[in-house]
Amino acid sequence: MSKEQVIEKVIELEHLTKVYKNGRGIDDISLDIYRGDVFGFLGPNGAGKTTAMKVMTGLIRPDRGEVRILGHSVAEEYEKAMAKVGCMIETAESYPYLSAFENLRQFARYYPGVDEKRVDEVLELTGMLKYKREKPKRFSLGMKQRLGLAAAVLSRPEVVILDEPLNGLDVEGMIAMRNLIKGLAERETTFFISSHLIHDVELTCNRIGVIYNGRILDVDSTANILKNYASLENYFVSEVEQSGRI
Amino acid sequence: MAVFKTALINEVEKLSKKKKAWVAVILSLAVIVVGQLVILAVRSGFGLRGVGSGEFPLLVLSLVVNTILPLFAALVAIDSFSGESAQNTLRITLTRPVSRFKVFTAKIGAIALFLLGALVLLFVFSVLAGLLFNASSLTWSDFFRLVLSFLVSLLPLVVLALGIVLLTNVARSGITVFFLAILAFLLLKVLGLVFSGYADLLPTAQLDWYNLWLADVFPVAAVVRQFLLMLGYGVMFFVAGFYLFDQKEL
Repeated sequence: MSKEQVIEKVIELEHLTKVYKNGRGIDDISLDIYRGDVFGFLGPNGAGKTTAMKVMTGLIRPDRGEVRILGHSVAEEYEKAMAKVGCMIETAESYPYLSAFENLRQFARYYPGVDEKRVDEVLELTGMLKYKREKPKRFSLGMKQRLGLAAAVLSRPEVVILDEPLNGLDVEGMIAMRNLIKGLAERETTFFISSHLIHDVELTCNRIGVIYNGRILDVDSTANILKNYASLENYFVSEVEQSGRI
Repeated sequence: MAVFKTALINEVEKLSKKKKAWVAVILSLAVIVVGQLVILAVRSGFGLRGVGSGEFPLLVLSLVVNTILPLFAALVAIDSFSGESAQNTLRITLTRPVSRFKVFTAKIGAIALFLLGALVLLFVFSVLAGLLFNASSLTWSDFFRLVLSFLVSLLPLVVLALGIVLLTNVARSGITVFFLAILAFLLLKVLGLVFSGYADLLPTAQLDWYNLWLADVFPVAAVVRQFLLMLGYGVMFFVAGFYLFDQKEL
């Protein structure tokens, strides 16, 4: 029995298909994410990364297939499936007329163990504590992104799903975010991260999945990939070129 | 139930922090002030009696229930559904451990509470204005009838709000929904005038149903009929609105 088989599956995607009217979307995606994984979902623009993440978080219904998070079906038991999940999908949004603190307090109310002290804690963790009374309508893209990440990790989730989490962040912010992800991953938090920033995925993720034209091309560990390729970028280009030839 | 309560608290908090809600409150009070000024002008200019202290709140109710309250219902419903959908903020609520049904119901609950708040505010200030500026005293029986008239007016307003919520889930743009709602409202009002024999069947006709509660001999059959009609409209609007909300891709 391999190591992967004994480790608990945290996210299970089974034959997930969602095709939009324009023909784009995802096609028959099956994927298992295990506890403690920092999974990098790599793919060019329009490959289907966001669609897959929207289906995973119940924002879109699939045409076919199923998603289970911590054993609960997203379609059938949404509240249970999302109870231990934090996510940021597509863009980091917040209510512009509520302060940063009030925004997080809105989400905190859904989790029994999350109080105002925890809100302050995540604001501190993301470097947003000094802006806690300010409204996001005056925030820069990077500040909104930090607030979105604070909202995603607020409930001390076991699973964090992040769509392009480094968008809009400066170098300092990117390093802080990488450290934040690594710190939480050490405490057994499972991450599913989509990004087009290959270098950052290489530095942050321990497993990689490549998606192209709505289909999964390959899934492998970062260590294994780097044994066979000089860099993750080389691996990615090779996988995509192979797919193009097919 | 705890999750629904949380969703409702969140919706009420969001509503209370919006400028639109406070503009609505100020406009409600302005109606009372302007109404009272008109009555004082009529009384001093033409020597007419105007209205008594018990009649002034009913005059205010008859005016607002067909004008600003449906408008407030439309503004709040559009903001809560179309507005959040356009700003992508609906997404951040729906990715929390709360079902779409609970979010939908909590949003409608918040709109109903807002309309109730507006009615209570209008009631309190119109009664006060009536007592301060108008002749004749208000009896307990009058007071009870006034409370009843304002309270029962909530039901047709909520049904109307449910109809607008349905529209917000049909059309994407808030402006489109606003104009569709106004057009539909005016069309139903005109239909009520043209086909007066069937006017009672239209959802807009029930806005005045508080008059039934003021009759000297309580018209049980008419009240039950109107109530069931509103219930029917409410259930249909709610179910259709929720179906579309549940199917929405964000």
